Amino acid sequence: MKAVARLAVLGMLAGGALAHADIYFVNVAGLGGEPDYEQRFAALAADLDRIAKATGPTAHVVTLSGPQATREHLQQTLSDIAGQAHADDVLVMTLVGHGSFDGMQYKFNLPGPDVSAEQLASWCDHISATRQLIINTTSASGGSVKALQRHDRVVIAATKSGTEKNATVFARYWVEALQDPGADTDKNQVITGLEAFQYTSRKIAAFYETEKRLATEHAVFEEGGKAEPVRDGVADGTAGRMLAAFPLVRLGGGSATTSDPAKLALLKQKEQLEQKVDLLKYQRAAMSPEDYRAQLTQTLVALAKVQQELDQ
Amino acid sequence: MTGTRDTPVRTAALTGLVVAALSGAAVSQAAAPPPEVRQCLGQRLHGQESAAQKCFMALTHASSPYLRAEGAWGLSDYDAANSEFRAAVAQADGNALYRTRWGELLHERFNNVDAAGLFKEALLRDPGDAQALLGLARVSADGFDDQAVARAQQALAIDPKLAAAHELLAKLALQDDQPELAAKEADTALALDGEALDAMALHAVIEILVDRSPEAWWARIRSINPSYGRGYAIAAEHLIFNRRYQDGVAMYRKALELSPRLWSARSDLGINLMRLGQDEEARQQLAQCYQNGYRNDATVNSLRLLDTLKDFATFTDAGTILKLNRKESDLLYPYFHEVLTQAIEAYRSKYHIELDGPVQVEVYPDHEDFAVRTLGMPGLGALGVTFGQVVAMDSPSGRRPGEFHWASTLRHEMSHVFILKATRHRVPRWFTEGLAVHEETEASPEWGDSITPDIIVALRDHKLLPVAQLDRGFIHPQYDAQVLVSYFEAGRICDYIQARWGAAKLLDLVQQFAIPRSTPEAIRTVLDMEPAAFDAQFQAWLNQDTASLVSGFDAWHKQLAALVSAARAKHNAEVLGQADAVIALYPDYVFDANAYQMLAAAALAEGKPAIAISALQRYVRHRGREPAALEQLAKLQQEAGDDPGAIATLQKINLIDPVFDTDSHRRLGDLLMNAKDFGGARREFAAVLALHALDKAQANYDLARACHAAGDAECAKNAVLAALEVAPDFKPAQKLLLELTGQ
Repeated sequence: MKAVARLAVLGMLAGGALAHADIYFVNVAGLGGEPDYEQRFAALAADLDRIAKATGPTAHVVTLSGPQATREHLQQTLSDIAGQAHADDVLVMTLVGHGSFDGMQYKFNLPGPDVSAEQLASWCDHISATRQLIINTTSASGGSVKALQRHDRVVIAATKSGTEKNATVFARYWVEALQDPGADTDKNQVITGLEAFQYTSRKIAAFYETEKRLATEHAVFEEGGKAEPVRDGVADGTAGRMLAAFPLVRLGGGSATTSDPAKLALLKQKEQLEQKVDLLKYQRAAMSPEDYRAQLTQTLVALAKVQQELDQ
Repeated sequence: MTGTRDTPVRTAALTGLVVAALSGAAVSQAAAPPPEVRQCLGQRLHGQESAAQKCFMALTHASSPYLRAEGAWGLSDYDAANSEFRAAVAQADGNALYRTRWGELLHERFNNVDAAGLFKEALLRDPGDAQALLGLARVSADGFDDQAVARAQQALAIDPKLAAAHELLAKLALQDDQPELAAKEADTALALDGEALDAMALHAVIEILVDRSPEAWWARIRSINPSYGRGYAIAAEHLIFNRRYQDGVAMYRKALELSPRLWSARSDLGINLMRLGQDEEARQQLAQCYQNGYRNDATVNSLRLLDTLKDFATFTDAGTILKLNRKESDLLYPYFHEVLTQAIEAYRSKYHIELDGPVQVEVYPDHEDFAVRTLGMPGLGALGVTFGQVVAMDSPSGRRPGEFHWASTLRHEMSHVFILKATRHRVPRWFTEGLAVHEETEASPEWGDSITPDIIVALRDHKLLPVAQLDRGFIHPQYDAQVLVSYFEAGRICDYIQARWGAAKLLDLVQQFAIPRSTPEAIRTVLDMEPAAFDAQFQAWLNQDTASLVSGFDAWHKQLAALVSAARAKHNAEVLGQADAVIALYPDYVFDANAYQMLAAAALAEGKPAIAISALQRYVRHRGREPAALEQLAKLQQEAGDDPGAIATLQKINLIDPVFDTDSHRRLGDLLMNAKDFGGARREFAAVLALHALDKAQANYDLARACHAAGDAECAKNAVLAALEVAPDFKPAQKLLLELTGQ
C-alpha cells in the first residue's frame, strides 16, 4: 500500500484511537517587548485556547499569556501535566513569541528569565504521554529542534535554523489552519498536524510572494528524534507519518461508534473499499488509464453508496 | 560586463565611429593618434582592409606599448590591446591621449563605466582633451541621459573642428525628432571632414524617415568606402528607434552583406528578429555573435531569454498567438484570451484595419526577461512593449499585487499594434502613446492610470512640453518623472482632441501620420491651427480640469499627513470626520496611505460598513487596485446582500491580478453559481485548480458542480473523480458522483 495511503489510514486509525485519549494543550504567549507584539501574541494565544477547548471533553487546556507566562508558571504547568497524563495521552504545546539563538542554545523569551530548549525538553520528558507535539512558532525556533527532538515526539519549528531571527508570521497562519475547513485536504473531518503544517507553509510562502519580500522563515518539522528536520512531508512517504497521526481539530460529523451489526458490517465494507481505492492509486502506474478510471469509478461509487446507507 | 580594464575580451568587431573620427579628420585639433596610427585608420576608412591589416600588424611590433595597443586594437585583439594600454598608461601617467584612446576601446567593448572613468582621468591630465569630452558624450548618449548634448558642445567649445562631435549631435537631434537640426549638424561635420561617413549615413536616414530616396548618400559613401556596412547599420538603428522593425531588419541585412563581421549589427539583427517573432533565425544570429566573442549584455541576455522559451506554452488561434509561462498558462489563458480578442475586435471596427496575420502576445512572469525585450529602447513603458504585431508584457505574477492593471496594459499595447499598422510605422512616439493611453480609459473609466503627485508637480511647475517637442519627453527626459508626465500629457491631448473635435479627428491624425507628416504639419492640416495655438488652448482646457488639484496640493499633503497620524493612533472618529475633505483635494490619490482605505478601516472599526463600502467603491472608481482592498469590498458587498456588486468587484480583481489568491476565485465562483452563470463559475473554479490550491478535493468538487450545472457531464465526472481520488470520503463529492452515474 502506498505510503500516502498509509498515512491517511494511520490518520484515521490514530484519530479513532485518540478519540479516547486525553489531550493536554499548553499554549504559551511569550514576551512581546513592544505593545504591538504583546497584543498580537496574546490574541493568538487566546485563539489557540478557544480552538483547543472546542476539541471536546477530553481536552485539558492551559494557556499562559502576559505576566503569567513566566518560566516558573510554565514549569509548574508541565509538572502538573506530568502528574496527570498517562502513556496513551497526548501533549500538544504551542509556543508563540520571540526566540533567540546564540549559536549554541535556543531560548524562548518570557517575562523574567527565559527558558531554554533543553529545559523545555526536560520538563516534557517527565510527561509520560507517548505522543507529543511541540509547535514552536517563534523566531530562531529552528535552533530548538535538536534539544527538543525525541523518539515519540514531533517538533515543528517556524524557522529552519536558529539563524532565521526575524519575527515570523507562522503563528498567524497556524491558527488560521486550525479554523479553516480547507486545511482538511482529505475531507475526513479532522485537521491533522500534517495538514495544518502544509496549510501554514503554503500560506507563508504566498505571504512573502505577495509582498515580494525575501522569505525570512522556512518552517520545518522533525519526527522521532532521529532525522534532520524536513520542509515537506508525505511526498515520498518517508516523512510526516507521525505528524499525520496527530488530530488537532475535529470539524464535526466524526465517525460515530456503533454496536448495530448492520452498521458494523457497512463500516467494515467502507474500510475495505477505502483500502481498495488506496491500492488502485498505488497500482495506477501499472494500469492503463482507461482501466484505472473504470475501476476507480466503480470503487468510489460503491463507497459512496455504502456511505449513503450509513448516513440513513 | 565584458571588456573591463582588468578582464579584456577578444572579438572581431569594429566600429566606424572611431575610424571616421580620427583617420580623415586632419583638421581637428583634438588630441589625435600619431601619423602611423592615422595611416592604418585611413586605410580602413577607405575600405583597404588588407593594407590596413598589414599596417596594424606592423604597429604590434613597435617599441611603444601605446602603438602596440593601437595595432592590437586594429587587429581586433582586444585582450592584447587592453594589456598594452595598461602598460602604456603605467609608463606615461600624465599622457591624456593614452587614456582617451583606452577609453574609446572600452566604450567600443560595451564597458561604459570604465570608459567614462578613463575619459575623466584624461581630462584631469588635460582639460583641453576634446576627444575625451566627446567620449563622455558618447557614453551619455548610450544611456539616453541628458548630458550628451552638453558634453558634445563642450568638446566643440574646445575644438570647433571636431567633426565627430557634430555627427553625434546630428544623431541626438534625429532621436529627438529634429531632422532639420540633424541635417545641419551633419552638414557641419561634412564641411569639416569631407569623409565623415557617419554624417552621410545620417543624411541617408533623414531621407528614409520621410520616405525619400537615400541613394545619393549611399553612393557618396560607396565612393569613399564601398564596403562601409556601418552606414546601413546606423540607418537600421534609427529605423528601429522609430519602430520600423521590418525596415530596420532589412537594413541590418544590407549592413552585414557589406561587413559580415560587424558583430554589433548582427547582434542587433538577432534582437530585432526576436521582436518580430522570428526566434529561430534570431538565435542563429545571436549565437554567431557569441561564438565570435561579441558578448555584450544584449546578446547574452537575449540568448538566455530564447533559452527560456521552452518554459512557455503557446496557444494559437486564427487571430492570436498567446505565449504564457507554463506555470501560469492554465490560469491566465482564459482571461488574457478574452481581453485580447475583445481589443482586436474593438480596434478592428474602430480603425477599419485588418492585421497581417495573428498578433503574438508574450507574457513574462520574470520582469528581467521582459526587460531584455526593451533593451536599448528608451522611454518605453515599463509594463509592456509592442514591436509591430508582437507584444511583450509583464505578467501580473511578476509584480506586486495591484502594481499594474494587466488588462489595461494589454489594451494599451494592442492600440499600438493597430496604430503602427495604420501609419505604416510612421507614427510619432507621442501620438501612439497618447492614443494608447486614451484608449485605456475608453475601454473603461477605471482603466488607465491615476494622476500621480509627480504629474501634479509637473503641472504646477509648467513642465509640459509643446506638442511639437513631446517626443523628447519620452526619449531624452530632462527630469526623473518626465517620461511618466509625457505619457500623461500625450493621453490628455488625445482626450482633448476627442472632446473638442470628436473622435473622427483622431482618425484623421492617424491618416496624416501615415503619409508621413510631421506633428506640426498634421496639427495644421487636421485641426486647422498652428501648434503654438493648439498648445495654448490645450493648456487652458487642462488647467480647467486640474487647477484645483494643483492649487490644493500643498494643503492635501498636510491634511493627508494628519490623517495618517490619526489612523495610526486609531482615532477613528477623527479619520471619519476628515477623510472626505482630504479625498476632495486629490480624488485620484489611490496609492500608499490613501484616504479611501483609511476611511474604510475606520468605518469598519466603528461598525459602519456602509461607509466602508462607499469609500472602497470610490477607491475603485479612481483606479485603486490593491486586490486585498477589492476583496474586502466584495466581502462587504456580499454581506450587505449586494451579490451583483460583489461579482463585479471580484471580476475586477481578475483584470488586475488573477494570481492574487484562490479565495477570490472561489468566492466569485460561488457567487456566479448562485447567479446561474455556470460558465463563469466553471472558469473561476478552474482558476482555483490552476493556482494549485492546497484543498484539491474541494477545488475539484467545485469545478465538478459548475460543469454539472453547465451541462458538461464529461467535465463534471472527471472533476468529481479527481476530488474523490484525493478524498474518497468527501461526502458532497460522493453524492454528486452518485447523481452523475445515475445511482
